[in-house]
Amino acid sequence: MGSGNEILDMYIYETGTLLEQLETIVLEAEKADTFSQENVNEIFRIMHTIKGSSAMMEFDSLTTVAHRIEDMFFIIREGTMSVVPEEDRPALFDVVFQSIDFFRGEVDKVEAGEPLDKNIDSFMANINTLIAKIKGEEPPEPAPAGAASPAGKSASAPTAAPASVAPAAAHGGFSHGLRVNFDEGCGMESLRAFMLVTAVKDVVDEGNFTFTPEGVENDPSTSESIVENGFHLLFKTTGDRDSAIGVIKTVGSVQGYQPYDCAPPEEKPAAPAAAAPAVSAASPAAPAASPAPAASAASPAAAAPAAQQQHPKETLISVNLSKLDQLSAVVGEIVITESMVTSSPDLKGLALDAFSKSARQLRKLTDELQDVSMSLRMVPVSSVFQKMTRIVRDMTKKLNRPAKLTLIGENTEVDKTIVDSIGDPIMHMVRNSMDHGIEETQEERIAAGKDPVGEIILSARDTGSEVIIEIIDDGRGVNDQAVLAKAIRQGIASPDAEYSHKEILNFLLAPGFSTNTEVTEFSGRGVGMDVVKRSVEELGGTVSISSELGKGMTTTIRIPLTMAIMDAMEVSVGGSIFTIPINNILSTIKVSSSEVIHDSSSGEIIKCQGSFYPIVRAKELYQLQDGCTNIEDGVLIWLEAGDRSYCLFVDELLGQQQVVVKQLPAYVNSFNVKNYGINGCTLRSDGSISIILDVASLYTAARGM
Amino acid sequence: MNDEVMFARQDEMVALNTADDAVDAQKYLIFMAGHLKLGVVAEDVVEILHNQVITYLPMVPNYIRGIINMRGQMVPILDARARLGMEPQEEDSLVVVLNLGDVQLGILVDAVDQMLDIPKSNIHPLPANSTQMLVSGMCSLPDGSGTMMVLDCEQLMPNE
Repeated sequence: MGSGNEILDMYIYETGTLLEQLETIVLEAEKADTFSQENVNEIFRIMHTIKGSSAMMEFDSLTTVAHRIEDMFFIIREGTMSVVPEEDRPALFDVVFQSIDFFRGEVDKVEAGEPLDKNIDSFMANINTLIAKIKGEEPPEPAPAGAASPAGKSASAPTAAPASVAPAAAHGGFSHGLRVNFDEGCGMESLRAFMLVTAVKDVVDEGNFTFTPEGVENDPSTSESIVENGFHLLFKTTGDRDSAIGVIKTVGSVQGYQPYDCAPPEEKPAAPAAAAPAVSAASPAAPAASPAPAASAASPAAAAPAAQQQHPKETLISVNLSKLDQLSAVVGEIVITESMVTSSPDLKGLALDAFSKSARQLRKLTDELQDVSMSLRMVPVSSVFQKMTRIVRDMTKKLNRPAKLTLIGENTEVDKTIVDSIGDPIMHMVRNSMDHGIEETQEERIAAGKDPVGEIILSARDTGSEVIIEIIDDGRGVNDQAVLAKAIRQGIASPDAEYSHKEILNFLLAPGFSTNTEVTEFSGRGVGMDVVKRSVEELGGTVSISSELGKGMTTTIRIPLTMAIMDAMEVSVGGSIFTIPINNILSTIKVSSSEVIHDSSSGEIIKCQGSFYPIVRAKELYQLQDGCTNIEDGVLIWLEAGDRSYCLFVDELLGQQQVVVKQLPAYVNSFNVKNYGINGCTLRSDGSISIILDVASLYTAARGM
Repeated sequence: MNDEVMFARQDEMVALNTADDAVDAQKYLIFMAGHLKLGVVAEDVVEILHNQVITYLPMVPNYIRGIINMRGQMVPILDARARLGMEPQEEDSLVVVLNLGDVQLGILVDAVDQMLDIPKSNIHPLPANSTQMLVSGMCSLPDGSGTMMVLDCEQLMPNE
């Protein structure tokens, strides 16, 4: 790992953060249908930073696009949002969104080490068309103009202007020249020049000036000549030239300009060359005709530091996640070791006052350490939720189904690994709601007595042990009959059996089930919600669906707050000790054998709070040698996972513990013990091992026996 | 848990290994499983533990005795006798912890016999019609104490 990689990591991280920031701004702005001046400044700053860092990393296409967007916002900044006509605003937002997607895509490629997309012409054309519109011009011939090849980095320092260029137009009384140099390597010089001309037209009558090279509007090849010789404007009077200078100062990416007076054509046109060294915009030769303050002068570089000052001091640092993983692993070990030391059997029966006191202090500190190390990994879910805003926005446009997304509790914090993995499931569900949930037409909604604008609510809340994420839509809801028919067709359901509403909803989560026969751009591809289920289960969470026909659907995802440490109950069966997550335990029950109901297939059933639940005997399931057989000697634990609920019969409850979850060795996992409810293990305070049970798969295993 | 980890043994092994100059000789750790003398390449041996508390693991083949906690690491334990189709071990005795690739695996054996340098040329293939499982070669021990069977560690890994 060289320092180059660190810089690249930093670039990826920074750009990602900036893009996220940008997206939030634009989403908000779109709601208001305008950019506030602050927003514009912020976007300008973001684009400038991206441009700068991309240039540093030599990602030319990124630099070019960022630069162009920066230019666009420069215009908007100067003229405020009022320069953008109402009807062009959606296009403006679209272009900004497209650019965010473009940057994201490219940054992903950078991260993956893939080559970057060099072909940005059509995208650039979009931007350029928009810029032209904003400037109140008819769009230039979009394709050819946009196709201007980024002139590359060959931009040389202004050399003495060859005679052929500047003075060519010195006829016809256009004797007052103005040479404009664009920022080196900024690309798209011909278009910049065209914009410049357009801007100058505002203040100088069209007949009173001319420019070389001509054809900048639709001949990209003029870029080269501009790079080499500068762009020349020729005016009839110095007055016109002065007002043009005022305008040029406000145009983006102008490096500098020099006024010169053309000698009659017969003489050697040495004037531009002589004037060339005076490149600075502050050159005294350039009378400040416009009252524009120096800070907003052409160079964006000057503007950026000013904008940055508004930012609060950096109080956050970014840390590599693997270091945090390491930290939590070590802290986990410390917690265990601490209790191994303090409850060591060697200490039994000894009166150790000082030791006990220190041990208590140590316990307090390790608890604190554990809390802190866990909190380090906690991040708000807002980053995931924000992305959904974007998805809903794009889909409302594409599907032409107005819908709004309401976010609740987006500041709920969960473990970083969870945030990283819940993005896809949530996105899948949100797309599902948009695609299949919300009615296709507003009329349909109005007829159903609903608000014509559909609503999707995305909420997160923290119950202390788990985070509950709900995706609620007020759409059509699930049609039980259709789902059941589909399930039967796919052989998931049996045509003869009766299914409850809840069971039918569960078919939606079955592998390969998808109610939509067509593959749509958004939620098709034939992968059903089982993918959602699987990825949530990988996080140790559960998914459940509830729905009422015509009223909408609610998907509830429950995920443990952190996967590494959990509260659990230790139980014993014979000589073995098992650990059951507290989240799954509803209650524990002592029963007499008369309360147990036997069914025809020697299964046992118990009645808890008005409902019947099957009994699973751990001893039998796991074929343990010892352990209670008489139901009255042991204890029943009433468990629930997802929609499965049952009672597990064990010998004894040993007590509640906070445990550090450890994975079983891969060797053991290769025997598919996970399918039998054996999910991991944990070290007990005496160093022995307890097996962590997975309540859901344990039941599946027990039924399969 | 009894912490009598035999570090000394391991150190010895390392010392012996480095002293080993013979190019095509390899050091083998020979242990007993039932009546068999089995050998594993000493380089693969991480340590030898005894009196370990093995946590029973349900739902796995009977030759997996369970898992142990080796300094915070979970190590599965194979019963050598059961794995080779003999009567399972009655009492817990020695665990030889092997490091095979990335996988740590403990083998429950009756006793550790000796450590020996064996030239590669002395290791002969099994008879063609042998039904002996998990053995990749055999070698008569120079001290005349019997025949060592070379345990094929790769076959210990579960079949994917």
